[in-house]
Amino acid sequence: MSSDIILFIVVGTALAFDFTNGFHDTANVVATSISTGAARPQVAIGMAALLNFIGAFISISVAATVANDVVNADVITPTIVFAGLIGAIAWNLITWYFGLPSSSSHALIGGVVGSAVAAVGFDAVLTEGLVGKVLVPAIVAPILAFGVAGASIAIVYRVVGKQRPGIVTRGFKYGQIVSGGLLALAHGTNDAQKTMGIITLALIANGSLGAGADPPLWVITSAAIAIALGTYSGGWRIIKTTGTGIIKMDAAQGFSSQGAGSAVILASTHFGFPLSTTHVINGGIMGAGAAKRFSAVRWGVAGNIVTAWLLTLPAAAAIGALTYGVTRIFGTGALGPIVVTLASLSLIVALFARRAERGSPVPASTG
Amino acid sequence: MMIATLVEWEQLGEAVLASVVAGVGVTFVFSIAIWGVARFVDLSRDERPLAAGAAALAAAFALACTAAVVVVGIIAMTSK
Repeated sequence: MSSDIILFIVVGTALAFDFTNGFHDTANVVATSISTGAARPQVAIGMAALLNFIGAFISISVAATVANDVVNADVITPTIVFAGLIGAIAWNLITWYFGLPSSSSHALIGGVVGSAVAAVGFDAVLTEGLVGKVLVPAIVAPILAFGVAGASIAIVYRVVGKQRPGIVTRGFKYGQIVSGGLLALAHGTNDAQKTMGIITLALIANGSLGAGADPPLWVITSAAIAIALGTYSGGWRIIKTTGTGIIKMDAAQGFSSQGAGSAVILASTHFGFPLSTTHVINGGIMGAGAAKRFSAVRWGVAGNIVTAWLLTLPAAAAIGALTYGVTRIFGTGALGPIVVTLASLSLIVALFARRAERGSPVPASTG
Repeated sequence: MMIATLVEWEQLGEAVLASVVAGVGVTFVFSIAIWGVARFVDLSRDERPLAAGAAALAAAFALACTAAVVVVGIIAMTSK
């Protein structure tokens, strides 16, 4: 009974995390299409929500990595997963509060690793999976997107550089409808699977599923719905802020960056690499900008992203470990997670109220 | 040295290669399509129907290639 209550809390927390993931990432997925005028905000966000939903169904490789290759499922309990989720959500809220860009994906993995280490020790961590499937791809992917987008835009300018700008711009705006859709699909594919993986890990830990099991259909469906709803409802306010802050780029740059981002995310998804989609998309945008004019890119922003990236894994891990310690004060039953959930909800309400009093920050990018 | 043994370089290399080919490839063929349309408009205006037709054909072929690459790419990358 007690473990079922904890499992219920974990599933609810994971879906809430998935909702916020879609909520925050809408801007990253659609901002390029909107800023170049390729799509109206309502259309872009609606399409992104739908394609995020569809994307969640087309692969389970990333979910399998998160569930089976990062921590040892045999020694994990639902409380450890819960503490990891709280670590991820807390770090996301902290970075949101201070307007720092961060990655939900890295926070999620960092949180679970931290709570697992606090509970079981370093034996709980599958170093091969963590390094080989998470850390190294996390470094390679944004650099790759930067290079692919840069090479793509260089080719575009060479091919169509001497043609009438009107036709070229119109053509790439049409192209952006497809490339933006592809990016939303790729985003849903990679990001929704992280939540599926976490819920599957909790189900395995609870004994509801066998070790190495794939996510059940209800997990896939609920994760797809959560990320799609988050994408649809989160967009409006975030787009308003991000739309004015984004670098002005032409339609060809938008197409190249979205194409590069989609290619990198989809290729990585195939091999089960859980990426920060935000870092990939930003890498693509910077590559497309730098290839045209190096100084067009805000390198200070790039530096902030790198700093936040370096901090995210250890910070989320530390909060996950701390949360696990707090839950254990109340024993091994459901009381610890219930107390932590209530305390977290109170803190979130207080944080939002304080933020509302002081005005909205530029939202942190997550992915 | 230790990291080198933990990373599945073959998978990572395939992901990098697929990303480069798909990302750069799609943009290249779509650029050809736009080039074809732009040339078609200019050549039609200059009353050179044969050349305009060839440009339109190139545009249509490139557009079909773009669509094919996108569809094949999604199927290949998301299926095990």
